[in-house]
Amino acid sequence: MAGGYLVPLALVGIVLASAAAGRVLRQLLRISLLLTLPIAVSVVLVSVLTRPGETVLMVLGPFDVTVEGVDFAGQTLVRLFAISTAIGLFTLTTDPRAFVFDLERRGLSPRFAFVAAATIEAVPAMVARAGVIAAAQRSRGLDTEGSLRARLRGVLPLVGPVLLSSLTEVEERSLALEVRGFGRPGRRHLLWWPPDRPIERLARWLLIIALAGLVIVRLLGAWPPIP
Amino acid sequence: MLELRGATYRYAGYAQPVLHDVDLVLRDGEIVGLVGGNESGKSTICLVASGLAPISIGGELRGEVRIDGEPTAGLAVHELAQRVVIGFQNPATQRSGVAATVFEEVALGPMNLGLPVAETLARARRALATLRIEHLADRDPARLSGGQGQLVAIASLLAMGPRHVLLDEPTAQLDPAGSNLVAAALRDLAATGAALLVVEHKTDLLDGLCDRVAVVDGGRVVLDGPATTTLEDPRLEGWGVEPPARVRLARALAARGLPGLAQLGWPA
Repeated sequence: MAGGYLVPLALVGIVLASAAAGRVLRQLLRISLLLTLPIAVSVVLVSVLTRPGETVLMVLGPFDVTVEGVDFAGQTLVRLFAISTAIGLFTLTTDPRAFVFDLERRGLSPRFAFVAAATIEAVPAMVARAGVIAAAQRSRGLDTEGSLRARLRGVLPLVGPVLLSSLTEVEERSLALEVRGFGRPGRRHLLWWPPDRPIERLARWLLIIALAGLVIVRLLGAWPPIP
Repeated sequence: MLELRGATYRYAGYAQPVLHDVDLVLRDGEIVGLVGGNESGKSTICLVASGLAPISIGGELRGEVRIDGEPTAGLAVHELAQRVVIGFQNPATQRSGVAATVFEEVALGPMNLGLPVAETLARARRALATLRIEHLADRDPARLSGGQGQLVAIASLLAMGPRHVLLDEPTAQLDPAGSNLVAAALRDLAATGAALLVVEHKTDLLDGLCDRVAVVDGGRVVLDGPATTTLEDPRLEGWGVEPPARVRLARALAARGLPGLAQLGWPA
């Protein structure tokens, strides 16, 4: 059983230590817990209550809570947390523009690079737009503070305007991009891309080797899946 | 010179054309104002002149659009964009959303054209200098005032190197201060020899800015002449265009038998 926890916990440890070094630990924990919690609840409920096993810990109505079910839930949760912290660390410490420009420098199509960058930037842009719409609605008497119910009642009327205003701008935005040469095929000469330091190159190669090794180990059956 | 000759355009999915046999000429160094009531076809003329209609938005165009004597049919949008560009009324929709600074935003167009880095930088600097907004170069494009944002949008178009700039209601979403900022910048731009077509409802702005004004009604150009006389034409209001304040004031004074503006020493 411990074997199923060791590697994910070690990975979580590495990620959290990296987050602490990058001074984003608190944000990372918040984001990861928010991301993992909804899935964790369903995993725990399904695994603990329905997974068959030999050792019954307790009986809850028609369900048997078994040691095997708890163990499975635990291993799954640790793995989920490892994934969410790793993704969270990437998003918190990587400048999206630097990421996309670097991909383009390495051969990614400029159009795809633009779409990726624009998608990343779209979320804060929509949040800002929602803030403006919320302020306008509040000035007209909409209550967006108070209890959870009051806040939900206040937020729901904003969803339509935020989405609709984003959609209606799409045509003009796409025409404006076309006029600025977006549709031209071929590569472009970037003004800037992030520096590629030797230690980052080494870390990249080590990660690629580790990933290849993991795949091989798994294919050879030397590391069994969760039972 | 940009010319529309007999341009008749129908939007995709529409049964009837929106533009009928439009003839319009935009000469180098000229500022032409385009006025008309709502849904008269002003924006469509800009879309046709820029080539976006029908290349990007579809539809059917009869007649011709020529730039410096050559027809634009068959050219791709990015090829046309180095000769004629179009700006829209909302500065926010003209932002790429991927530039961290105004300089990067303005340089995006030349970069998309595949130009060498030195040329891209030179064009961006020139565009900012033309509109006198070099001081905005390091600013976040998303955090500018309306007027500043519109100037950055225009600079982004200028960096493409066009000789013809079409602006569809560039001050529609701006306050008076922002409108004045844009108007002053357009004067500076015209002084460089670029040809400007400015669609506006604000005839006061066009009055002090344009060499010529054309009036559009029902998809046709119904009047095209020197700005001063065109904006004094008594038929303007019938076409859904409010004359400039000086014209309305002069008419009000005349209606009451009072001395005209010239007699009062009002500058021409």
